[in-house]
Amino acid sequence: MIVDVHGHWGPWFFSTDVADAAANLRVMDRCGIDVQLVSAVEAVVYDPLTGNPALVPVLEATGPRLRGLLVVDPRDLSLAAAQLDELLPTGLFVGAKIHTHYAGSPGGSDAMAAALTLLAAHDLPVLVHTWGEEILGLADVVARVDGVRVVAAHLGGPAWQLTPSAASRTGRLWFEPCWSTPAPGRIRWVLDRIGPERLMFGSDSTLIHPAVTLGAVRASGLSAAEEELVMWRNATEVFRL
Amino acid sequence: MTALLDADLLVGRDIVTGARLSGDDVAVAVAGLGIGGGLVTSLRALLFDAPSGNDEARAVAAAHGWWAAAGVDLRDPLTALAEVSRAASSDGTVRAVRLALDRQAVPVTAPGVRAVAREATAAGLVLLAEGDVRVVGPALAGLDATVVFLDAHFYHLGDFVLLARDEPGFHASTRLLGDVDGWELVASDVGAERLVFGSRPGWFEAAAVVDRLAASDLTASQRALVVEGNLRRLLGAGATA
Repeated sequence: MIVDVHGHWGPWFFSTDVADAAANLRVMDRCGIDVQLVSAVEAVVYDPLTGNPALVPVLEATGPRLRGLLVVDPRDLSLAAAQLDELLPTGLFVGAKIHTHYAGSPGGSDAMAAALTLLAAHDLPVLVHTWGEEILGLADVVARVDGVRVVAAHLGGPAWQLTPSAASRTGRLWFEPCWSTPAPGRIRWVLDRIGPERLMFGSDSTLIHPAVTLGAVRASGLSAAEEELVMWRNATEVFRL
Repeated sequence: MTALLDADLLVGRDIVTGARLSGDDVAVAVAGLGIGGGLVTSLRALLFDAPSGNDEARAVAAAHGWWAAAGVDLRDPLTALAEVSRAASSDGTVRAVRLALDRQAVPVTAPGVRAVAREATAAGLVLLAEGDVRVVGPALAGLDATVVFLDAHFYHLGDFVLLARDEPGFHASTRLLGDVDGWELVASDVGAERLVFGSRPGWFEAAAVVDRLAASDLTASQRALVVEGNLRRLLGAGATA
């Protein structure tokens, strides 16, 4: 059983042909992924106003193997609130997604705190892109927003060695390791410091092939107990799948 | 199963991370991944002293049955040219020259870059080029050079393909082509002959590249080229490695 908490649907602006949700499902089948949480690329990199609703018919058509992440731009929480009210009742969305870079809202910013407060009020977990030292700022924000549940994507990228410090600041922050340029031994190093209850698998597919992070996970040599937690159980509990 | 040959073996000390890897360490890193050898360069040659570093690479290659690539330091293009000459007169012991402009903070416009590339090409040596293919690629165009771009990232795949259409000697390493269809796009557009397995084991999570290979949609004949045939062809190597 594999749950992938970091997926995307829709076309990318790179030279890759993955716009159709069939690409998600094909690669999931190839990699043994049962469920993938997806956000609309359009909502992440361009505009949640149009991108989030565009995902609805895709999720309706593909069924429960793809579950939605509603993209929130912390700079436009009135839109986010309206879309939460409109789209959560569909039952198609199980969480939110915030991309700190595209949304111009670093992990430790006041805008992030306000966005997480809104999502906590909806009891909605959120996957947050983290790159660099902002992973620590995000952890501090999570610690002071009551009830919010956050997954830090990418382990901060090149700042992955800050993960234990981030984990120590709050128990409501989980971590997801996908990265197109993975450092050797990174996942085992992190696991040994934060414990398997805090890590969950994500791929960044269809930007990155899931095999890349699956390979990195394989290299970490998970025990059977770790595998259960990392590959699906933590995700099902945090996102209430 | 055919043993993988890796164009991107590195030994020595990386000054960014402070990590050190000997030839034995790299041999340990490839163990269990199906990587049976490849082309090794010394970081000492790239970062401190090219002649003694290249001696180190040759010794490591000889000890493990690998091939050696000469590192050149373009901060000292005169010595770099001398090392190209030494590589060319090595009776096949050294079959490639590695360029590492970013590591050396050398601009791509430095005269030594094209001078070294021209000399190496005239000597029948393969160029291994680190760095952004969009930057390094144009600098090496028009020389009839045979080049493996070690850091070709899928973000820049379209630019690599455009370069490769015009430059029959241009090849991409697999290491950073971790998107959903990058390997397949190279194979369909410019041919599987242009894709060379590289994973930088010990410095990069090589299992991620190995697993991306396993998940690829390449045909058996295309795989054979990527994992072994292309590197042997480029090096003119009937010899085992």
